Amino acid sequence: MLRMVIRRLVQLPLIVGVVATLTLALAWGVPGNPLENPEGRRPAPEVADAMARQYRLDSFWGFYYSYLRDASGLGYLADRLGPGPHPPRPVFDLGPSLQYRDKRVNGIIADALPVSMTLGAAAVAIALALGVPAGVIGGSRAGRPIDHATTLLVLTGVSLPSFVVGSVLLLVFSLWLNWFPVGSWGSMRDLALPALTLGLPIAAYIARLTRLGMIEALASDYVRTARAKGLSEFEVVWKHALKNACLPVLSYLGPAAAGAMTGSFVVESVFSVPGLGQHFVNAVQNKDLFLIMGVVLVFATMLVVFNLVVDVLYRWVDPRVE
Amino acid sequence: MRRLAIAFGLLVVLLALAMRSGEAPRADFAFINQGEVNTLDFSQMSWMQDFRVARIISEGLCRRDVLSKDYATIPGVAASWDVSSDALTYTFHLRDDARWSNGDPVLASDFVYTWRRTMLPELGSDYAKLLGLIRGGKQFMASRAEALKGFALDASIADRPAAARELWEVARREFDTLVGLHAPDERTLVIELERPVPYFLDLMAFPAFFPIHPPTIEASTTIDPVSGGLRLAPGSFEPPRLVTNGPFVLTRWRFKRDMRFEPNPHYWDASRLALTSISIPSIDDGNAQVMAFRGGVVDWTSGVSGNYVAKLLADKAAFRAEHAEAVAHLRAGGANELEIDQELPDDPRNHIHTFPSFGTYFYNFNCREKLADGRPNPFADARIRRAFAMSVDKQSLVENVRRTGEPTASTLIPPGSIPGYHSPAGLKFDPALARALLDEALAGGAMPEVELLFNKEGGHDLIAQAIARDWKKHLGVSVRLVQKETRSFREDVKGGNFMVSRATWFGDYGDPTTFLDLNTTGNGNNDRGFSSRRYDALLEQAAKTTEPPERLALLGQAEQILLEEESPVLPLFQYVQVYLFDAHRVKGVSVHPRQEQSLDLIDIKGDGKGAW
Repeated sequence: MLRMVIRRLVQLPLIVGVVATLTLALAWGVPGNPLENPEGRRPAPEVADAMARQYRLDSFWGFYYSYLRDASGLGYLADRLGPGPHPPRPVFDLGPSLQYRDKRVNGIIADALPVSMTLGAAAVAIALALGVPAGVIGGSRAGRPIDHATTLLVLTGVSLPSFVVGSVLLLVFSLWLNWFPVGSWGSMRDLALPALTLGLPIAAYIARLTRLGMIEALASDYVRTARAKGLSEFEVVWKHALKNACLPVLSYLGPAAAGAMTGSFVVESVFSVPGLGQHFVNAVQNKDLFLIMGVVLVFATMLVVFNLVVDVLYRWVDPRVE
Repeated sequence: MRRLAIAFGLLVVLLALAMRSGEAPRADFAFINQGEVNTLDFSQMSWMQDFRVARIISEGLCRRDVLSKDYATIPGVAASWDVSSDALTYTFHLRDDARWSNGDPVLASDFVYTWRRTMLPELGSDYAKLLGLIRGGKQFMASRAEALKGFALDASIADRPAAARELWEVARREFDTLVGLHAPDERTLVIELERPVPYFLDLMAFPAFFPIHPPTIEASTTIDPVSGGLRLAPGSFEPPRLVTNGPFVLTRWRFKRDMRFEPNPHYWDASRLALTSISIPSIDDGNAQVMAFRGGVVDWTSGVSGNYVAKLLADKAAFRAEHAEAVAHLRAGGANELEIDQELPDDPRNHIHTFPSFGTYFYNFNCREKLADGRPNPFADARIRRAFAMSVDKQSLVENVRRTGEPTASTLIPPGSIPGYHSPAGLKFDPALARALLDEALAGGAMPEVELLFNKEGGHDLIAQAIARDWKKHLGVSVRLVQKETRSFREDVKGGNFMVSRATWFGDYGDPTTFLDLNTTGNGNNDRGFSSRRYDALLEQAAKTTEPPERLALLGQAEQILLEEESPVLPLFQYVQVYLFDAHRVKGVSVHPRQEQSLDLIDIKGDGKGAW
């Protein structure tokens, strides 16, 4: 177990390094000058040159080298050895935003990531609370009307895009019923609708996985044994069968949680949630190289870490797994 | 199974903890800005939403009385000023009680420091050009750019940090000797100009000229040994480090979430403020903006966008029709649109307001002899440009396509926005004449397919389709619509790689040159590649003329040539600002066509604060 954790943690910087290289190569090729305001005045050529040099945008390799040095923490180490700038830089310096020039990418992510993580965690909680029971009910009565009903609900959940679900929820619960506020963030009430919107498709997927796992588990030998022992149907389903039926859900949860917790552009814009998802889209539109790199690196790191957490959980739940 | 349940329970508890945050009470005045603020570094600003915040937290030498009819320039940090008889030297006397938000006095040398920084090419200020009006400014900027280039390309320098420091010392000395900007004492600022600038006082109220707090900036500035330029550590223009000198201070800025302002206790005119807090929540989505206003989350929504607007405006028109008699009576009495809204009975339908603003939506014609790919350019012929300009039905465009209350434009400069300036008539919609003109210009030849370039966002596609239909119908030409992503679009326009392209320009200061300079030969923003000796000469002549009426007449003549003879631009409509607010509650919104809002002037009725 410990060996696996260490091995994964050693792999992490390598994976993130490869992702950084690929992302930068792609983002660099996007046409347009990131230092230019699309609707604004155009700087004189000599000014544009001086600015590009300032941000190391004059050469790909110069940018690549200085970005990796600062983002990896080597730049910070070098500062500590020498006199260093004032005020000191963060350890992993992701650079300034090119669109929001006085903002550090570290700061932008530090503001947005906790919001997205909270929302994502709430969405995952809702998804589990809805998806697992739905899957169990469907799977334990496979082929009966209640199974068809839950399957239909699940299909609807998977198919409906979140901008539709979000807009409808907003219209009904905020505008007509006035139960939830619009455009504010900071309380449990603000969390409810966006978390539900973000959680529904995940819930649907979880329900499908649980249902399939359930059908398989109920047909297996140990369940037959449990039944033969005379256990009640409730105990058989919820205690014995569910334990194994949950395992595919657990492996799906890693990437699903990483995805949900790094934010969704659609949900964030519908509900005005100040999360990270908007930056994925806006940064690319603005060709804000530092911000693109920053959010992609955060996403890659979270994906690796969450998969690791899921693997640890997996072994904890099912010690037979090696 | 129990283990999984424990993990799940833990997740829920953590969530509850994460959302348990104490929120400050709602601000006296909450509004949605035009978009997220890009920067609060006044030297680097160029967006309307940034300027708006700049006017809340800072103050220049002068202010503009945005609520007065004549848009007067009034004292700000400067209590008074003298102008020399040749109009080349301005001496500003700073008020003794002007202070920064940390209590430091605002000094004349703070302005010198700020403007010197704005001139640095490595900063890339959009408005550094305006500082070129100061004697020696242009020379200093060019010399610094040259020096930086030489430094960056010189690989033979051994001790780069020391050499970069020396480079900066040289630049500072050069600034002192070259540039006509001096602070003979703490409270006196002397500015010498290259030539008379009739709108110079107006510029002193423009945020690009607002002061920054030198000790704060100096402490975070380093010299980059690679490029040789000055480099500012990020975070100097946000709380807690931000120090400003305006009526309010920014106390909290959660990026893409909200900004909050409270009165600056050291502001010299603090007694005039009618608000004790202002907040700007970040709400981007057009529908959410309207809902936030309806739900009382905000008092004022600026830049309302989306499909809503047409519907809301139709509702307002219906409301106005119910009170047609009262409206006619008020209008006859000289009331403006906002005053009419204030007099009519309170009704939610009356909460939308549109005010013409200081910006024009137009099309560029490429005027170069050849297109970027070497093909001959039909639009190099002014007759063809005029023919295309005269065959667009702008009235139908604003009524059926835009439907957001914009007035059609026949000039580049919004009429009535600059006192004393008389706009020319411009070209009229005349398809028959246009067709004749086109036939004459083509002389039997065929018009090649016209390529119309625009970018994706903002409904430009609908406008382009309507105009392409007009050209097809009235001129019989076929038009290919070329839609590109904003930044690629921008590259193409810059490189002259288009026949016709969409464009927008907002004026910066109250003088016709803020629009007319765009079309002078070689101007950095002359996307059309337009060049006319007569036009350039008229602008040159106007620059040398000090008598205002005579000068404005020359500029009017220049705009007339531009629009009626040369036609490198095809003005389509004047932008409007679309706001949502209750005119019976919110006071202090400016209706002037310059559409600058000074939100420190807002007063909310019935909140027990202020005069209203």
